[in-house]
Amino acid sequence: METLAVFLPLLGAILAGLFGFVLRDRGAVLVTSSLLTISAVLSWVLFYDVIWGTGPRTVHLLNWVSVDKFIFNWALLIDQLTVVMLVVVTTVSSVVHWYSIGYMHHDKSIPRFFAYLSFFTFFMLMLVTSDNLIQMFFGWEGVGLCSYLLIGFWFDKPSANAAAIKAFVVNRVGDFGYALGIFGVFVLFGTIQLDDIFLAASSKAEAKIIFLGIEFHAITVLCLLLFIGAMGKSAQLGLHTWLPDAMEGPTPVSALIHAATMVTAGVFMVCRLSPLFEYSETALAVVAVVGASTAFFAATVGLTQNDIKRVIAYSTCSQLGYMFFAAGLSAYGAAMFHLFTHAFFKALLFLGSGCVIHAMSDEQDMRKMGGIRKLVPITYIYMWIGSLALAGIGIPGLGGFAGFHSKDIILESAWAADSIFGYYSFWLGLIAALMTAFYSWRLLFLTFHGQARCDERTLAHVHESPAIMWVPLLVLAAGAVVAGYLGHTVFAGGGDQMRSFWGDALFMLPTHTALENAHKVPLWVKVSPLAAGLMGISIAYIFYIQNNKLPSNCAARFKPLYEISYNKWYFDELYDRIFVKPAFVIGRYLWKSGDGAVIDRLGPDGLAMVTLRFSRLVSILQTGYVYHYAFAMLIGLVGLVSWYVFSEFLR
Amino acid sequence: MTDLLKEYVPIVIFLAIATGMAAAMLLASYIVARQKPDSEKLSAYECGFEAFDDARSQFDVRFYLVAILFIIFDLEVAFLFPWAVALGDIGVFGFWSMILFLGILTVGFIYEWRKGALEWE
Amino acid sequence: MNSFVDLLISLPELFLVLTAMGMMVAGVYTSAGKAYTLISNAAVLSLFGAIGLVLFAKTGTTLAFNDLFINDGFAQYIKIILLLAAALVILIGDRAVRKIKIAHFEYPILIIFATIGMMLMVSANDLMSLYVGLELQSLALYVVAALNRDSLRSSEAGLKYFVLGALSSGMLLYGCSLIYGYAGTTSFTGLETAVAGASNISLGLLTGLVFLIVGLAFKVAAVPFHMWTPDVYEGAPTPVTAFFAAAPKVASMALFVRITMGPFQGMADQWQQIIIVLSILSMVLAALAAISQTNIKRLMAYSSIGHAGYALIGLGAGTKQGTTAILIYLAIYIVMVIGTFACILCMKRKGNSVEQINDLAGLGKSHPAIAAALLLFMFSMAGIPPLAGFFGKLYIFLAAIEAELYSLAVIGVLSSVVGSFYYLRIVKVMYFDNLSDELDSVTGKRISVIISLCALTILLFFLSPSLLVDSASTAASVLFEK
Repeated sequence: METLAVFLPLLGAILAGLFGFVLRDRGAVLVTSSLLTISAVLSWVLFYDVIWGTGPRTVHLLNWVSVDKFIFNWALLIDQLTVVMLVVVTTVSSVVHWYSIGYMHHDKSIPRFFAYLSFFTFFMLMLVTSDNLIQMFFGWEGVGLCSYLLIGFWFDKPSANAAAIKAFVVNRVGDFGYALGIFGVFVLFGTIQLDDIFLAASSKAEAKIIFLGIEFHAITVLCLLLFIGAMGKSAQLGLHTWLPDAMEGPTPVSALIHAATMVTAGVFMVCRLSPLFEYSETALAVVAVVGASTAFFAATVGLTQNDIKRVIAYSTCSQLGYMFFAAGLSAYGAAMFHLFTHAFFKALLFLGSGCVIHAMSDEQDMRKMGGIRKLVPITYIYMWIGSLALAGIGIPGLGGFAGFHSKDIILESAWAADSIFGYYSFWLGLIAALMTAFYSWRLLFLTFHGQARCDERTLAHVHESPAIMWVPLLVLAAGAVVAGYLGHTVFAGGGDQMRSFWGDALFMLPTHTALENAHKVPLWVKVSPLAAGLMGISIAYIFYIQNNKLPSNCAARFKPLYEISYNKWYFDELYDRIFVKPAFVIGRYLWKSGDGAVIDRLGPDGLAMVTLRFSRLVSILQTGYVYHYAFAMLIGLVGLVSWYVFSEFLR
Repeated sequence: MTDLLKEYVPIVIFLAIATGMAAAMLLASYIVARQKPDSEKLSAYECGFEAFDDARSQFDVRFYLVAILFIIFDLEVAFLFPWAVALGDIGVFGFWSMILFLGILTVGFIYEWRKGALEWE
Repeated sequence: MNSFVDLLISLPELFLVLTAMGMMVAGVYTSAGKAYTLISNAAVLSLFGAIGLVLFAKTGTTLAFNDLFINDGFAQYIKIILLLAAALVILIGDRAVRKIKIAHFEYPILIIFATIGMMLMVSANDLMSLYVGLELQSLALYVVAALNRDSLRSSEAGLKYFVLGALSSGMLLYGCSLIYGYAGTTSFTGLETAVAGASNISLGLLTGLVFLIVGLAFKVAAVPFHMWTPDVYEGAPTPVTAFFAAAPKVASMALFVRITMGPFQGMADQWQQIIIVLSILSMVLAALAAISQTNIKRLMAYSSIGHAGYALIGLGAGTKQGTTAILIYLAIYIVMVIGTFACILCMKRKGNSVEQINDLAGLGKSHPAIAAALLLFMFSMAGIPPLAGFFGKLYIFLAAIEAELYSLAVIGVLSSVVGSFYYLRIVKVMYFDNLSDELDSVTGKRISVIISLCALTILLFFLSPSLLVDSASTAASVLFEK
């Protein structure tokens, strides 16, 4: 069953990818979507079985490498952490598959799209089920590849190609760190098998690594390297630049890869390696600070973006920041909980915005939308649910939308961590929550309320999405509404219920009590996220419904701040100046003068020239005259004989 | 040294007799026969074309065919002489070996005959 | 009755001799129209009969005719290759021979005579029987080269081959006489003891060996004794060229092995130097020269020179492993060559055969099957895995490396890289160049069968290489167990 759940998507990808011409569009679509749905059902069964049934297990598939101590295999590690990821990935993925049937039906290469989607899902499942770092890296790189392929799916669009390359290259930076981390783990532990590493972690807690004559705390170094990988994949501050650009891909792709699954791989990895991270206070602090900063930074950028998908992209980036600082404060359960709920409501938001884009004839700029709520009521409701969940709206004590529970527990844990990093995270997270609510409602108001700002033809064409698109979203909407309420005790309750839920999959040192104490925080801390959310909504209402001159006035008044936010803190320009342009200059130089003038001229081209010249020379020798031939033979004979005669003389 | 030279005495005698006989024959024909020379009779005869002429001239290949076919059987005779002399020593095996050889030559002879190599026209 | 046993030992040769003579007589007594068909069929049958006789002959080493003749596993291995090559050449050449009007019944008979000569060569145990076999082979080949008497090129090819062949025979004979003069015997067995017993090798004997090797190098077309090859290959009728490229090369190579590994084993240090030089020259020159060829037969000539160079690497190694590698290489080479020439023989336009490389343009579209087969042969010759040619080269290079001839192996690999250019060029012309005038569709069931058999052998060799490797290794070990 485990094997089926993981490999059905691969089967679908192979069928649709290689035999797409046989299956045709319809066949490819049905095959991949049904296989994924089966996989999703199996995942839910597994989820139940692992947590309330037989418990965690490892399924050995194939031997892979066995060189001295360097031994690892293809295996599926099915534990609590894995099954949570399994249900998230397969559920969102199958919803996205069904949704895409409607969204992509105009496209020319439907089998390719579905093959990529299923292929991606397979790699994601490999990533979350691996029992060693290499297999995880395999999945890691695989999802990176699929992400590249899907961002650049419309390869005739130059911007899509550029975005795909950007995503790939930025991820390479992170992957480099990850790979170094794996090497380091092998050096330190002599194994890359996860359970062996975890067993040995406490004994290596004080180990040192000496590099360039300086002594480092070994586990800290490893964790930081691995975290660089996580930063790349999860678009954390510094390596986040690819995520907004990745919105060039089709919207279902954004929902699946760049909201619900792949980008959370970094969070998953940190949680998976919690037994390692726990032994390095420094690394945890770095994770927390980076996460909190990202949450804040991305939220500020989200305030001013005009592209509907970019707003949600920055929102994703920001929410990932929340997860990271939760993990950094040892509240892994809270991080995973937010990951779980976020997957539902963010996918819902993306797919909802996909419906909007679909309705607006592929228009993504919110300034050209507005006033369409009556025309697309279902989408409107979905977007409301998604936004409410994102902003974390609920009634304290009774429960609320998904984000209400998960975001609250994160912020409470931050406060309860009772450290400087905890407070840093708490305050930045709180401000980010306010901004989140603001930009979410800015999006809602700009898109659905007010006057229609599009041209007549587009407006006339606005229509509700077909059932194949909005019905699957019901699943996500349901998740966005109830996932938080149902899950909050078991995922991040901090008590025995949570412990029995996670089993050994998450590890927290007894001294790290953020999650335990999260329930004992002062009341104002508990209420503040909700208050921030409501405040954000109110401001958005004032800005965009009551007085729609206010936004431009504000922008003019606080022009520097607005510019910074609008230009995403100039990260792209900075990187362009520091890395990209010099790289191009160096590259061009090496290409023209290094490769072209030296290597090519002396290497391939030169060799070919010389060969050709020799070839002509040899052909000229072949005169056709018998006496020339005889002469050559005699010369050869004389040469050979005299060779011996001379060597005899020399001896 | 003299012993070695002595062995050549019969050859010298043979040479002397041969020279003598040749000279006698030429002389006799010169003295006895009637001499009526013409240009055809005076020209040297060698396979039907001029002995002292440009070598790169066309000639009838049939001359050579005949010559080559002749050589084969000439060599056969050259083999037969020593065989005949040593027949007593080489026994049955030696006898049949030569018969086999002759048989092979006969096959060649049949072939050239049937191919018409022996016909001038 | 000792002599009768001698006859039994040489039974395959005797059988061929008798059938060939029988066919000669039968041929002249059959009407001219039917003679060729009858005799060529009979020739193929008798060649296969001889294969049977070789296969079922007693194994183990036996001497005959006062030690002039030797029959052992090595000779049997080579003889099977030779006989098979001869039979296949007659089969694939059938239509072409009729087309260019050289369908004389003498043609298959001459092929058989040449084959007998080669069989004698590989079974020679004495310089004299060596020479007799070599000349029997050469004389028959001179004639078949010039078989197309009405064609200027064919006559020229025959004449060139004859004149240069006579020169090489002269050198070989001169070498034999020097060896006899300095060693006092012509028997291989006697020479072996003489060479092994000598405290230091006399220069005279060495010079004799050099002359002998030069004579043999001419036959295998090793540089610089290769000059005749391109002209003769191009000029001779294509079926004859196929035979030239296949059988004599194998026989001469085997003779090379027989002489160097047998009587002159004791002088290995000396002759290895020559062999290595010849091998390097052959590989490099062939690879370079072939690049600028436009005629596919000429190209194949250079290809065969190059292949001789590779085979000589194995000889240069001077080990049992090297010898095994040569035997494997030769067997694979024969299949590739016959297959390639079968494809070339299929190239016809409006009934006339064409032999320019450019004429192959568009073959991939017009004749997919032939093109695919030719592609296989070309890839195999270039040594691309997993085709048989790759393994042939692999064993050769392995042997060279085992013998610590690293530079030789490196040069071999490099030249095979250069060489792959011209093989791949054919593939490129077939598949990527625009269709020239379409070639005729293939006629002939036999040739198609042979092409597909050769192609399958090349393609599937890797499934069970041990079939060939084992027998080659057994054959090679005969020369080394003493």
